[in-house]
Amino acid sequence: MNLMIHDLDNGLFKKLFKTSKDMHVISNDGSIQRCIGCFGCWIKTPGKCVLKDGYNNMGEILSKTDNIIIISRCCYGGYSPFVKNVIDRSISYLLPFFKTKNNETHHKPRYKKRCALSVYFYGEHITRQEMDTARDLVKAHGVNFNVSEWNVAFYKSSEELLGEVKIK
Amino acid sequence: MKITMINGSPKPGENNSGTLIKYLTSLINENETDVYNISKLKLSDMQFEEMKKSSALVFAFPLYVDGIPSHLLRFLMRLERMDVFDKNTMVYCIVNNGFFEGKQNHIAVSQMKNWCIAAGLTWGQAVGIGAGEMLPFLKNIPFGYGPNKNTGKAINEIANNIKTLKSGDDLFVSPNWPRFLWKMQGTRIWNMRAKKNGLRETDLYN
Ligand SMILES: Cc1cc2nc3c(=O)[nH]c(=O)nc-3n(C[C@H](O)[C@H](O)[C@H](O)COP(=O)(O)O)c2cc1C
Repeated sequence: MNLMIHDLDNGLFKKLFKTSKDMHVISNDGSIQRCIGCFGCWIKTPGKCVLKDGYNNMGEILSKTDNIIIISRCCYGGYSPFVKNVIDRSISYLLPFFKTKNNETHHKPRYKKRCALSVYFYGEHITRQEMDTARDLVKAHGVNFNVSEWNVAFYKSSEELLGEVKIK
Repeated sequence: MKITMINGSPKPGENNSGTLIKYLTSLINENETDVYNISKLKLSDMQFEEMKKSSALVFAFPLYVDGIPSHLLRFLMRLERMDVFDKNTMVYCIVNNGFFEGKQNHIAVSQMKNWCIAAGLTWGQAVGIGAGEMLPFLKNIPFGYGPNKNTGKAINEIANNIKTLKSGDDLFVSPNWPRFLWKMQGTRIWNMRAKKNGLRETDLYN
């Protein structure tokens, strides 16, 4: 399955992408709540977030995904607030327990299946420094989420994404 | 001199960012310090007016998936759009993370630097502190001693820079404690917390 997490408005999204049965799309319907840092998704309802707003099942969705495609405005070298909110609400994808990789601690995976991560950042005035930060961020996010491969691309505007996004 | 501290932890009760702010405040208490917890409180126009008068902004927040938590990001974008601060306003931050290595906070620090440039303010210094979830267990140990030695030293240094509105090199620290012990204790604590919720160890692998 392909999973697309994006922050575009729905009109533009429909213009740019054809969706299919094999694609799960997560977009902003205005109802997402912020993570409250309770770790309930690890120690209360393992694998599921305790907040009930329709964005509480990210771990399970990720476990069925082969390909994560993120489309996000680049904000200070990172994801936009909505996209980051979805990612912050996704840590149930991992276990609370630790492993050491390249001499750094990370979490053990909850699921066996691994996926690939492709990130398409857009924004008119993305600076060099922001690009460097964004590349570091996607790499670290990829390592933390135990992905098999990751890549990052930058575009001046969201319209430029037409035909650019590779869907496997 | 007025210093504004922004606690970016969304945890309802006590939080590690708050513990670090408390210690920092004790070191700079000859100044007027305001602390805002942005996830508990919707700031009023009057509070923003107050904030504008500060010589330094200090952001203390947890690392969330290698970056700035989404609710803090929304707040930062709002501050940038308001465009109200004097360009000499200094920006400092104290980021704490769950994993042992304080170094893992460096990307969130870069994001804060990028924000500082976008908002047209002056960069002061950042401190990144690893194994943040150990702090509640070290309450009886003063900062600067034992496992809190490195953390205390780093906060002392940033406090001195804040007092004199100077910039400094970013500091990344981990507790003075063996990593393997931290890892074992961490595992035990997750299991204990699960038990309190009526779950067994195996349930966590659900
Ligand atoms: C959604 C979420 C994501 C997190 N991501 C990371 C991470 O990527 N790396 C890390 O070291 N810790 C991570 N943590 C752990 C927190 O940074 C850590 O628990 C911190 O001490 C919390 O600070 P606070 O009490 O001030 O909120 C994460 C925690 C949550 C709830």
